[in-house]
Amino acid sequence: MAGRQIFNPDGFKNIEEDGKITGFSFQFKCQYYRSVTLSIVRNLAVNVDGEDFPKEDITLTINGETFTQDQMTTVIDSDYRWEFGEYGTVNVKKEGGLAKGPHHIKAVQLIVPSYMPFPWEVTCEADFEIK
Amino acid sequence: MSYDIKRSISLYSYQDEYYDGKLDLEGCLRETAKTGATGVELLAEQMIKRFPVAIEEEGFLDNWFAMLKKYNLTPSCYDAFLENRIYANRTLTLKEQISMMNRDLRLASLLGFPVLRTLVSTPMDVIEGSLEYAEKVNVKIGLEVHAPFSLNSSWADGYLSMIDRTGSKYFGFIPDMGIFCKNIPDVLRDKARRQGAKEECLKIVDDAYAQRREKGFVKIKYDLDLGKANMEYRMSNGMKEMMEAVEKAGGGPADKMYANTSFTYSWSDPQDLIDNIQYIFHTHAKFYNVHEDYVETAVAIPEVVEAYKKAGYNGFLSSEYEGGEHLRDIGVDSIEQCRRHQEALRRAIEG
Repeated sequence: MAGRQIFNPDGFKNIEEDGKITGFSFQFKCQYYRSVTLSIVRNLAVNVDGEDFPKEDITLTINGETFTQDQMTTVIDSDYRWEFGEYGTVNVKKEGGLAKGPHHIKAVQLIVPSYMPFPWEVTCEADFEIK
Repeated sequence: MSYDIKRSISLYSYQDEYYDGKLDLEGCLRETAKTGATGVELLAEQMIKRFPVAIEEEGFLDNWFAMLKKYNLTPSCYDAFLENRIYANRTLTLKEQISMMNRDLRLASLLGFPVLRTLVSTPMDVIEGSLEYAEKVNVKIGLEVHAPFSLNSSWADGYLSMIDRTGSKYFGFIPDMGIFCKNIPDVLRDKARRQGAKEECLKIVDDAYAQRREKGFVKIKYDLDLGKANMEYRMSNGMKEMMEAVEKAGGGPADKMYANTSFTYSWSDPQDLIDNIQYIFHTHAKFYNVHEDYVETAVAIPEVVEAYKKAGYNGFLSSEYEGGEHLRDIGVDSIEQCRRHQEALRRAIEG
């Protein structure tokens, strides 16, 4: 049996807008054991090949709507929960995107369920390839 | 004393298969029925998409009850999460929290659950403020007694006075069998080993656990600042000394993970169940690893079931598998674990 799959292996892509590559995106599953409102996802941090990205350059797309991390703090609607077992798409601004070839990602989910004495943080890592 | 101990499965147990898309809600119900369990416990926020609105949309409840009928299952307990800090900048007001609790009571009732599980973080005045509505929808509020909390403690006494004061029959306890751990689960120890833990350090932690068990755990106090209460609890149970010993033995991250996690298990005397039986509505039969011979190496299943027989318990033991989180690097089989656990429960109940 293999270990748990966190990232969508087919989800790593550069983002193209108006003929220009403006960033990259990837998909991963919420690592908490139930669905959460985006309002309690208090940080998504991304590091690729050692490079960190500013929080304001990282957004999350759930069910077709994209929210900045600041906007996420007020999202409690049933339609935009990060459902347990479903991928959320993380979009990261980076001019020119990622170079073709292999990369390594470290992405942190910081979730704060009301009842937990300490914030719940998990670092997700994977090797991937931009084709 | 006559007793009627029934078996249930909390669908929490199947979370890894659900996460992987191998089981959906119906698949979990089907697997539950296959084990011989007659009850089902649900975390709506885990396996019902678009919580909470989906539950009240047309067709949802028809489908839910049709599935229960198909698999011959009875709803045992609804697990609620009072998300009273849903916004980053404030805690919900008391009235907002009561109204959230009442929403969950209503949903539990619509889904046919007789008991709602609430967490230890739920303020007492929120519970008290919801009792009238609980009675109206006929759903009992059960406070989960999860390690490091325990029955027969000053923490529990506060709730007992509330029951006395209100005279309500709609509030009581849901013991989690993680409070009856004879030792630290083997799946955690094996994970620590895979991560490079030293045998010497594991032994220090195991010995410290055995000592806490022998001497009796110093109990945690009631405090809504759970972080503070938890840290005090750990310190008064010898965490500092144990961590120093691990450090001195050259313990690395895996050893420290094992040492820290050891405080999420505890030992209470099963007599506590007998003493509090009139307030116990439901039981989380927490387990971590059941071997092929149907022995759970950490949780005292036979002792707990024996206490419940003596006390005349009429309720569910609801399997709650929590070993999977320690196996995610090598693979989890919750279906087989639940099958074995149900068999272990059956033998203890019928034996």
